[in-house]
Amino acid sequence: MSTQQPPWQRRPTGIEGLDRILEGGFLVAGVYILQGPPGAGKTILGNQACFNHAAAGGRAVYVTLLAESQSRMFAHLRRMAFFDESAIPDRVYYLGGYSALEAKGLDALVTLIRGAIQKRKATLLVVDGLVSAQESAQTDREFKKFLHEIQTLADFTGCTVLLLTNAQRATGFFPEHTMVDGVLHLTDELSELRPLRHIRVLKLRGSAPVRGLHSLQITDQGIEVRPRIETRLPQYPPNEEYVASGPKLPFGQPDLDEMLRGGLRPASVTMLLGSSGSGKTLLGMQFLSEGVRRGERVLYFGFYERPEAILAKCQRVGIGGLQEGVERGLARLVWHRPVEGVLDELGESLLQVVRTMRPQRLLLDGMEGFERAADFPERMSHVYSAIAQELEALRITTLYTTETRELFAKSIEVPINGLSAATQNIVLLRHVEHRAAMLRVLAILKVRDDDYDARMREIRFTDAGIQLLDTFAGESGVVSGGGASSDSRATDTEA
Amino acid sequence: MQAKPSILIVDDEFGLAEMLREMLRESGFEVTLAINGRLAFEILLEGKVDLVLTDMMMPVMDGAELAAAIRSDDRHRRTPIVMMTSLPTAFSGANALFDAVLRKPFTPDLLLETLAGCLADRGQSCS
Repeated sequence: MSTQQPPWQRRPTGIEGLDRILEGGFLVAGVYILQGPPGAGKTILGNQACFNHAAAGGRAVYVTLLAESQSRMFAHLRRMAFFDESAIPDRVYYLGGYSALEAKGLDALVTLIRGAIQKRKATLLVVDGLVSAQESAQTDREFKKFLHEIQTLADFTGCTVLLLTNAQRATGFFPEHTMVDGVLHLTDELSELRPLRHIRVLKLRGSAPVRGLHSLQITDQGIEVRPRIETRLPQYPPNEEYVASGPKLPFGQPDLDEMLRGGLRPASVTMLLGSSGSGKTLLGMQFLSEGVRRGERVLYFGFYERPEAILAKCQRVGIGGLQEGVERGLARLVWHRPVEGVLDELGESLLQVVRTMRPQRLLLDGMEGFERAADFPERMSHVYSAIAQELEALRITTLYTTETRELFAKSIEVPINGLSAATQNIVLLRHVEHRAAMLRVLAILKVRDDDYDARMREIRFTDAGIQLLDTFAGESGVVSGGGASSDSRATDTEA
Repeated sequence: MQAKPSILIVDDEFGLAEMLREMLRESGFEVTLAINGRLAFEILLEGKVDLVLTDMMMPVMDGAELAAAIRSDDRHRRTPIVMMTSLPTAFSGANALFDAVLRKPFTPDLLLETLAGCLADRGQSCS
């Protein structure tokens, strides 16, 4: 006789990200509280779970205890992709429980719910407006008795029960939480001017949920939950050996490749750091262009310039082959509007496209786009580290551009905390004032565990492509924006 | 003096049912409320009901089951029944049991017009 306990049977919500957080879904016969303020998405989530459950062959009953009429609720739900009127009434059934509650109290409500579960053979029950039941109870004890009866009903019928509530308790202690199998908390807050919704598992019996806040969005598809991306990616041990091996990936610009002793190490991460307009994107596109020329798959993932504008710009400065690469399926340009998305959505989009396309070369253009989409800035270093590890594991050689805030500052600051730790190489691009002219300079600041040419070079983007010039030979202080020849500096000192 | 037509409103959303009751009373109807089909059928058997105005999804006995029960009862099979629903497509299979379908939300004018039409068809008058 086996002593092994059968695994918990789960009932997925059909909301992919939520099921991932819940380790597969709610438990069969489990009773859960979904709490949160009005507008956080509880009702949509409850309805979506019902229709997804029905689509998977189950039967759901949705009981409203709220003043909002069902017709008003349906009017809002109709625009959601999951809403399937053909599932009503056979597979999804709606009941108003408020009148029974008002007329005869909690016992009548239990009777109504029991009858509905049995008659409809429901395997999922949603009670929307638990706060009404709580308010109807004369004492906490009476309310707990109601919850106990719902639990017994769930046990008896195998029905999973979701209780939706916006209840607030001044003490911050919710005795009802001790009686249920799980509590999910939904929030709806402003971050500066952006509305941000999150979901958090406060309690989940029999499961090891992904804890902490996860982003939640309401779209025409319904509720979309995105677990924090750094919790979803496997943790790989550092693989310096891999990065250090294999043929280098050149830029296709002979002088720069010479400075890098042949190019970038495969699966390495390189930062193109520079001020606005210093040529970071074009240099990155040059790297992709060379990849296409070699028959490699390349990916541009950016936030600020649309693909067609970038391709046109590349064409103008002699960075060719990318349009043809797109047509041949070797190159892909993905553009996201900055700010609009949430960090996890952007990360998911990036990982989805790299896993599908498996590019050898990747340009992430404008890492500030990720930063601006971050709900909590303190997450960024974890996110970057996780993404960088994933890209390395996929053997993708990655360039990313990031801006220095000042055009001519003497000190150079890497603006995104934690990012440089995941970066093997740093190339600086910036403007300098030099003999009454504004020039762009390129300098390699770091190549991990490899030799490189540390000279400052003037970089020009011409019709014939990228040129590197030795304009600053014998001068110092160029990176800090005030190039001076060693001769003239000596003269100044003497004076 | 002609008796006021008697309307039986059946809806588990009590707020909506109460609002309808007040409106119909002001328009000259006698109105009774029931919160599910079974209670409605019991009321129908006990007293005079000229028209049943029913929601579809309700506990215990739903609108379609109520309409079927009424159509199977020799004394009441001709009683006009009006369906109220937000989801007319979902319940289109039950249309044959009903004299009219009112899609929620509906205007008071449309409600009164629908009731008057149904009552007139059965030789009743709401004036």
